[in-house]
Amino acid sequence: MKNTLTIRKELKKMNIKKIILGITLAIGIVSCESLDVEPKGFYSDQNFYKTVDDAEAATLYAYDALTLVSYAPVTFYLTELATDNCSVKPDEGADAQAFVNWEVSSQNELLTQFYRSIYIAINRANAVIENIPGKGFNQEDERRLMGEALFLRAFNHFNAVKAFGLAPIQKSLIDELNETTASLPNDMQEMYAFIIEDLTTAIDYLEINRVTGRADKVAAQALLSKVYLFAASAKESGVPKYNALTESVDNLYAKAAEYSGYVLNNQGEYAHDTNIQNIYNSEMPNGPEHIFILSLDRTGTQEGDYSKLSKYFIPYISGANVYLKNTDDSFSKTHDGWSVFQTNDDLYNSYEPTDKRRTELIVSEVFNEAGTSIGTVADETIIYPFTRKYVDPNFEGDKTSTRPYLIRYSDIQLVYAEATANTDGLIQYNQIRNRAGIDELADLGGLSKADFRDLVVQERQRELAFEGDRLWDLRRKNIVQANVTEAAGLSPEAVAFFPIPQREIDLNPNIN
Amino acid sequence: MYIKNPKWLLSAFLFMLCISAINAQTTVRGVVSDENNQLLPIVNVLEIGTNNGATTDFDGNFEIKVTNKNAVLEFSFIGYKTQTVVVGDQENLNVILTEDVSQLEEVVIVGYGSVKKSDLTGSVSSVDMKNLPSKPANSIDGLLQGQVAGVQVTSSSDDPGAGATIRIRGGSSLNGGNDPLVVVDGFPIGYAGDLKQISPQDIASMEVLKDASASAIYGSRGANGVIMITTKKGSKHKTEISVSQQTTFSEFTSELNLWRDPVLMAQISNESRINGGFTPLYIGANDPNGVYYPSVTELRNGTWTTNTKWDDIVFRAPISNNTNVAIRNQTDKTQFSLSTTYFTNQGVYIEDDYKKLNINLNVVHKIYNDKATVGTNVIYSKGNKNNNGGLAYWRNPIFPVYNGTDDYYLIGNQDYSHPIALTEKRSNQNNFKDFIGSAFIDVQLLPSLKLKTQLNHKFGSSITDYYNPKIYTEDGNFNNGSGGINNWESSETVAESFLTFSKTYNDIHDFSAMGGFSYQYYQSRSSDLKAYDFLNESLGNGNLSAGNPDQQSVANSFTETVMYSGLGRLNYTYKSKYLATFTMRADGSSKFGANNRWAYFPSGALGWKMHQEEFIKELDIFNELKLRSSYGISGNQGISPYLINSRYGQDQYYVNGRFQTTIGPGYVIGQDAQSGKKSWGGIPNPDLKWETTSQFNIGADFAFFNRALKVTFDYYNKYTTDLLRERLLSPSSSYDRMWVNDGEIENQGVELTIDANIINKTDWGISGTLMLSKNKNKVVSLGNAVSSGLNTDALTGMKYEFSGSQVEAFRAVPNILAVGQPINVFYGYKVDGIIQSNAEGLAAGLTGDLAQPGEFKYVDLNEDGVIDQDDRTIIGNPNPDFIASLNLQGRYKKFDISLFFNGSFGQDIFNTKAFGEPSNQPLRWTQDNTTNNYPSLRDGRNLSMSDWFIENGSFLRLQNLSVGYKLDNLSTSGITNGRVFINGTNLFTLTNFKGYDPEVGTDGIYWGGYPKLRNWTIGVELTF
Repeated sequence: MKNTLTIRKELKKMNIKKIILGITLAIGIVSCESLDVEPKGFYSDQNFYKTVDDAEAATLYAYDALTLVSYAPVTFYLTELATDNCSVKPDEGADAQAFVNWEVSSQNELLTQFYRSIYIAINRANAVIENIPGKGFNQEDERRLMGEALFLRAFNHFNAVKAFGLAPIQKSLIDELNETTASLPNDMQEMYAFIIEDLTTAIDYLEINRVTGRADKVAAQALLSKVYLFAASAKESGVPKYNALTESVDNLYAKAAEYSGYVLNNQGEYAHDTNIQNIYNSEMPNGPEHIFILSLDRTGTQEGDYSKLSKYFIPYISGANVYLKNTDDSFSKTHDGWSVFQTNDDLYNSYEPTDKRRTELIVSEVFNEAGTSIGTVADETIIYPFTRKYVDPNFEGDKTSTRPYLIRYSDIQLVYAEATANTDGLIQYNQIRNRAGIDELADLGGLSKADFRDLVVQERQRELAFEGDRLWDLRRKNIVQANVTEAAGLSPEAVAFFPIPQREIDLNPNIN
Repeated sequence: MYIKNPKWLLSAFLFMLCISAINAQTTVRGVVSDENNQLLPIVNVLEIGTNNGATTDFDGNFEIKVTNKNAVLEFSFIGYKTQTVVVGDQENLNVILTEDVSQLEEVVIVGYGSVKKSDLTGSVSSVDMKNLPSKPANSIDGLLQGQVAGVQVTSSSDDPGAGATIRIRGGSSLNGGNDPLVVVDGFPIGYAGDLKQISPQDIASMEVLKDASASAIYGSRGANGVIMITTKKGSKHKTEISVSQQTTFSEFTSELNLWRDPVLMAQISNESRINGGFTPLYIGANDPNGVYYPSVTELRNGTWTTNTKWDDIVFRAPISNNTNVAIRNQTDKTQFSLSTTYFTNQGVYIEDDYKKLNINLNVVHKIYNDKATVGTNVIYSKGNKNNNGGLAYWRNPIFPVYNGTDDYYLIGNQDYSHPIALTEKRSNQNNFKDFIGSAFIDVQLLPSLKLKTQLNHKFGSSITDYYNPKIYTEDGNFNNGSGGINNWESSETVAESFLTFSKTYNDIHDFSAMGGFSYQYYQSRSSDLKAYDFLNESLGNGNLSAGNPDQQSVANSFTETVMYSGLGRLNYTYKSKYLATFTMRADGSSKFGANNRWAYFPSGALGWKMHQEEFIKELDIFNELKLRSSYGISGNQGISPYLINSRYGQDQYYVNGRFQTTIGPGYVIGQDAQSGKKSWGGIPNPDLKWETTSQFNIGADFAFFNRALKVTFDYYNKYTTDLLRERLLSPSSSYDRMWVNDGEIENQGVELTIDANIINKTDWGISGTLMLSKNKNKVVSLGNAVSSGLNTDALTGMKYEFSGSQVEAFRAVPNILAVGQPINVFYGYKVDGIIQSNAEGLAAGLTGDLAQPGEFKYVDLNEDGVIDQDDRTIIGNPNPDFIASLNLQGRYKKFDISLFFNGSFGQDIFNTKAFGEPSNQPLRWTQDNTTNNYPSLRDGRNLSMSDWFIENGSFLRLQNLSVGYKLDNLSTSGITNGRVFINGTNLFTLTNFKGYDPEVGTDGIYWGGYPKLRNWTIGVELTF
């Protein structure tokens, strides 16, 4: 065919081979890249945990979990609302009301958030624990960071056991689908053994090294003493499931005394702060009391970096800024709040009238800038007397540096007092009362160990009010029904543990 | 004759000899046209019995040398009957080819090639470009409404520059995206929805590939169908300049539903607040924010006279404009087209403006004796949007605009909605630039073998500048002024090369094959700069470093994906009667893990042109009767990259006096705007794979009465498996969601298109197109109920999950995905009128406030005596039963008219504004007006999602009306062709829906807002 021939000639002219070669080459060049694309815009297990700085940032991420809005403020819904300390604003959501009324169901969203936040924090700690060893970091850094991560893992598991009883133990980092369906531990012994082992190792790894917002050896000792005290008193008072603990009650108390004793006697960094105002000064998170305090700062850009705790505890006072009178007759400015956590009269009245923790730390009157009173609790301008523990005079809008007090020296003094229930303990107990300006207990005469321990627990309510500890005290002493009207008549199981969230049950075939 | 010079004689002799030698090869010239005198280009001319041939040029001219007078020429052209002519003595031939009705004229563009429409085996619809509304449009998407059966187009927004939602044969994916792929001149540029880069005036033709046989060649991106766009090329052998100008004037289709009578407003407000147990507002006193509200008496007796019509201040009658100038030309070797479009679009809100300039250059050139073609298509567009939407036209009319002369009157000290203050003090502007370029070479290697290589590149960038001033915005007030810049750019490169072989054996076996490969690289990056706390606001965001240095924030991102593909197609036709098509594509994508990286998408189709059979011919009824059926598999990979990788989160923790960066497992994948609750993800799924849609299609094409009546019918069944969805994880895993392949969705439907050329006289004619499509979708499975965390319907045991966004007034999500139900059905309570007495309320199972007279009487469906969550059920379906459109065209002499009706029938709308508006609040229940239609007014009522708010959303709309007048015989002015026209869109709507407009998003939720616009366009098109 002539046509074909012509074309072939044409093809020869244009040198088709060269053209095809060119095209193939062009496409070959662009095609050399592989289908494996490394992420360049974010960190992942492929590009992280390479240096000690990475490990440092990973450890801080674990601390940062404690500041989550779904964790830090939510803690108070459980620990203050479900007790005789506080009730909630009437138009707060049903899930919040449920804590006051002891109708917390497994569907409770706040409960679910608290639960989930615990495991977010644990997974972040596990990421450190799993990725640091064997990377060849220097021994000092590795021990410090491992110690902090172990402390945090224990801290969060302890929250889980206090809130839910038997709850999943997460021993390793979760990064695969088949790791997402944890089982419950067999019993409390398994639960506590894990927490105690983590803390014991942490104490071994850590040195005394105060950094605001971080934990050191003293914090680990303090936390371990609290764990033992919880176990001892819970087992002693017949809290369900605590019978499974193999150690005797006395041994557990002894351990609590031992570790709180280390805090009181074996270090010079932390101490009893004789000035009660200093403890709650938002400018002094590094005060002697603060063994472990969460770190938030008003210069942050989002809640969790800064704190809105003040808004929760301070009542609504016409949306204005108000002034609070200080002991030296000066005034501190604050915004008003949302009236979420409202002080119960019973708590207020549990203080003796001269108790500084009532006169200096609970506000019943507010002033204007000129120092003129603009309202009191009596005239109902202030709908309830509110705590000064979360006031930041240097607030910016809603942003404050108010911080959750996670472990205070005074707390550990009372742990020691309760654990020992002897004259050594009495000294610590009296130091707390003395600072508050109320009578000391002269001696233990006529008081059984149990009697004295009850007194300590009462003192803990007054000393640690609004600090997120009350429910745990009520639970471990098995006195929820006795102290919280709304819980009267509930079963021991029902008051001892909140239900595992329905979401966990729905999504985890290993828990039902 | 006296010859002086024999040399001269010799020369003359030789010359004569030469001439006679030439004469021996006669040159025949001529013109080939069709019956309508249209000149036909590229007609093959062959001297029978030889290899001697030629083709006509673009004006139908040909020239061929023949050896003798007895030569017979054969003229052949696709779609026309082949004709033979004996040359004889003629030197000028006028050949008229008659159309071969058995061979349809049209050639349609399909993926990686084109095919005669008559040989199609798949379901492919062409858009009739002349039927599209003639109005200024940012992109072609919105204009496609009602133009293609099986294609649902929703444009629920009149905002300037807003896109539209396109669904081909329903939504088949939950998270993988449902937008069809768009291919422009062979370049897959992305997904439909906002094709702002392509000016509608530059589009020559569009095809919609609907079934798997047509779309599976696009493999992992073909599951939602494909829209093929061909841009205009030069096609006339002269320089042609065309100008088109369109100007649109828009107005609201209805009055705004706002308070005009402050007295009534105040009474209603007071009543509502009193009933809710709150202090009434209009009592002549300061509210808690210190704002004075007059009493009803003050308003009534004229003491308080302010009655601001905020809508007059906030809204305007927008004008939009579109100007297009194009120069096109074609020579023997070159086709050239240069087109530029300038589009301006005003929003209804003042200063809410959109502008866009678009330039499109297209050159195609033949080289190497026309055996190869090179070409390029370059589109550049740039524009900007001044965002000033969402102003408070609903603002309380009793307050003035200004306080005194020029101070804005603010309602309290936290008033962030003053429309004039925002317009003048706030800034928010977006600038964008887009570039789309492609270059190709097409080489005829052998008469039956062609190689085409095309390189494509796309680049887009967007910069948003904003500043929120201190007093008038929440962000600005909270942060003492805040401003920022958001930068974004993306680029994409696609290189494709394919060989096409086609040959006919023994005149009865038509065989063609195509095979090639494709490479795609995509990358996008963004950077956001933000600063707060400005000393001096006069620069806005012009100098971000002037913000507080401690609070500046930056963020950036980078993503890239790579895809390789191999593709192929086989076509076989036997005796022009029996057709078969097979396609195959293999895609490998970096988005998926090594285990599931490659996927294969085969398809097959069969067709039978029955009208070629003698027994059908004998019936003498059908001009065309074709049956076709196809089955194939296509995919969806419309998810973000890197889901196979673990992704760490980042935050900051305040240590040692400063915030330090923290990094670790778990990052925020979502945050509820209302509650601020974060969702955590970042757990990798290395087993992630493609969503797979298998589609069966059976269809038929009919033509009767010399093709004056054409009918196309299709039935399809699309079944999607391995849905890309986020499954929920147990909270003890520390993650909320993880991407998995789980769940199945089915879509099935029918499509019918009837095309009738009713009257076709010289002076006048009428034609029409009716389209009906019905799609029924069903969620077949949402995966394992335990692993996916589904809810259970208490009444039926049906498994479901909530889907979409929460409606604030109800604190609930209206839509659910329920197994066995269509996508997005509404879920809630049933209401049986209004409670008339407390006893009636209590008897109905209600308690407290909800049992009072004037409340909704919810139905105790499970009859347990209590109204609770277990009484909820499915209360509506936002998916239409069918959609229909009717396009009528008429012409009389130089006038043309077209009417376009568009309707959607059987869908429900959740009307969030069914109660609480100025129009319906006065109809409330009161002790004196014990209506059963509306509840009482009560501030703070906890509204529940119920069928009381569900309305029938069916509508029929006169979508478009256009009247034109043809300008011709204006050759003295140089104008060869022209038309002036007036076009109206959204002219009237028949509906029972009570809101402004029933055209809402695919979730069926009506949010209120303002009425839709009616648009009047006047325009002129001229060609020189």
